[in-house]
Amino acid sequence: MAHHRDLRITAMLFVAGAAFIGAAGADETCNSPYISKLIKGQEDFVYVWALGVEGLGDGSDKLVTVDVNPKSKSYGKVIHMVSTGARVEAHHMGFTDDRRQIWAGGLADNRIWVFDIATDPAKPKIVRTIADLGDKSGYLGPHTYYAMPGRMLVQALSNVKDKGGVTGMALYNNKGQFIASYAMPTQGGGDGYGYDLAVNPKKNVLLTSSFAGYANYMRPLGELVKDGEAMKKFGNTMVAWDLKAMKPKKIFSVPGAPLEIRWSLNPKDNWAITATALTAKLWLVKQDGKGEWTAGEVGTIGDPAKIPLPVDISITRDGRGLWVNTFMDGKTRYFDLSNPEAPKQTYEKATGKQVNMISQSWDGKRVYITSSLLANWDKGGADNEQFLRGFAWDGKELVQKFEVDFTKEKLGRAHHMKLGSKALHGT
Amino acid sequence: MIRALALLAGALAAPAPLAHHPEPLPALEYAPPPPGSYVLHRIMRAPDGPVLGLDGRSRPLSRYTRGQITLLGFIYTTCVDPEGCPLAYRVFDALKEAIVANTALHAKVRFVTLSFDPARDTPEAMRHYAGSRAVDKGGGLRWYFLTTGSARALMPLVEGFGQDVRVTVDRSSGRPRRELSHVLKVFLIDRAGDVREIYSSNFLHPQVVLNDIETLLMEER
Repeated sequence: MAHHRDLRITAMLFVAGAAFIGAAGADETCNSPYISKLIKGQEDFVYVWALGVEGLGDGSDKLVTVDVNPKSKSYGKVIHMVSTGARVEAHHMGFTDDRRQIWAGGLADNRIWVFDIATDPAKPKIVRTIADLGDKSGYLGPHTYYAMPGRMLVQALSNVKDKGGVTGMALYNNKGQFIASYAMPTQGGGDGYGYDLAVNPKKNVLLTSSFAGYANYMRPLGELVKDGEAMKKFGNTMVAWDLKAMKPKKIFSVPGAPLEIRWSLNPKDNWAITATALTAKLWLVKQDGKGEWTAGEVGTIGDPAKIPLPVDISITRDGRGLWVNTFMDGKTRYFDLSNPEAPKQTYEKATGKQVNMISQSWDGKRVYITSSLLANWDKGGADNEQFLRGFAWDGKELVQKFEVDFTKEKLGRAHHMKLGSKALHGT
Repeated sequence: MIRALALLAGALAAPAPLAHHPEPLPALEYAPPPPGSYVLHRIMRAPDGPVLGLDGRSRPLSRYTRGQITLLGFIYTTCVDPEGCPLAYRVFDALKEAIVANTALHAKVRFVTLSFDPARDTPEAMRHYAGSRAVDKGGGLRWYFLTTGSARALMPLVEGFGQDVRVTVDRSSGRPRRELSHVLKVFLIDRAGDVREIYSSNFLHPQVVLNDIETLLMEER
């Protein structure tokens, strides 16, 4: 319960104007546009990147395969797991552009594990460990893995020098060889912080968001929220980059730690949306009539005074709907984005005592939710549920279809998800 | 360069006379950064291995990827995916017109079209596919059409470039049809044989490629 009390303290601090938080993102409608193989039918697997818990199972971070095909005998069951042998705050992962591999890493470390998911999609295996991120770039805590043609653009959260929030991106080729690094801007209004990145190739725009560094995200939450100086060290910016040149073009003031970035996949649209964790707002980044990129607040998520803490969002394939998970109240909300300038919440449901990531199938009929935010920030006691839950969505109601209890199965804390398919790889 | 871009604009507005697919390429929705204002990093070494020219003779691929700036694309001659090989062809055609019209680029750039279907794309099939494109008309740009003698010879090249290829069977027409599923990638290779850009279908545009070629040439000045 200690964690629970901490969160209440945090809430009070937030109301008083303090700030905190951070989390993650991605799914079938939110992949890099350079990934051409999307699963547009029934997915077979959900890969869950899980944080190891000391004393639970092997205690290691691991990639867990869950069978999610309703026609399978092992539907809703864990069918495979591969441990890294390390416990480094496993967080996010991403497909390579050919979708043959998953790159995954932890925020407490600089290693990146590369899993082969093509040879046997049910049984990923580690084929490479990349360990030179810190040496080559000076960055720490790889977070977002974004497929570029033949390459992977990795957004880090921190740096090896002072473990603060000033960081950057590192570019690797698909063989795991370092190519270049790009610092987040610290001039012209930039705070140097990083979190997520997302590309619009047609417009030659890369958008980045901002969170916090190792010194903050690895501290116990109760301790952090009492440190006034540390609480000032959260990102308040987004950056529009010239993608081709990989140079910052415009810096937006977006207070409150903007996290996941989702471009609308509708070819007629020309905007991206994000949620700010600390201030519980939806922000729209769009190109105005003069071709200038702008960012503006367009909506509120729950009651910001109660700190719902939006931690992940998932956009529908037509850009007309947005799922939002809020960690504190364990709610999953749906927003109608028919007018992206004025999102309207049309549904909400408590899907757990704590919820973090949310991923949907391409057709939007299946929604998957996990529970863990960060090892030191998850709730305590009975509220520390650790799960993958699968839901059916008919446009009106989320109906739970299965649950994998990650504590009972001795797997750890369930965090990021990616969908898998046998058919994509001819198996 | 400006002249080349002007000609390129014309080529895009009016489809190239040799194009297999005469519909114009979509307009670029942004102003790309000027040549030389950005860096094209060395992504990886271009792989090497034996390939077959239209005359059926075996030569190392490096003969076609060193000494000049090379634009290399994988194709298979029976591909009908509009976002795949046909798109690459249209872009290559538009680029060829622009390069031929700009003498400053003559003898500095080559195109390579390499089949990843050695079973069907024999040198003879490639000759038929290439048509007049493979004929050196003295326009300052050579376009090579290559294939390999076997899957064993092909695979190191495919894997070396990171060109994903998968054999699928399309049964939608009632008769099983073997198809090669792939993600379109086109590779820009510098004189030394290093891959400097990899284009996919959503940003493979002649103007962008031309700027990149000019950027590589500016490195040498």
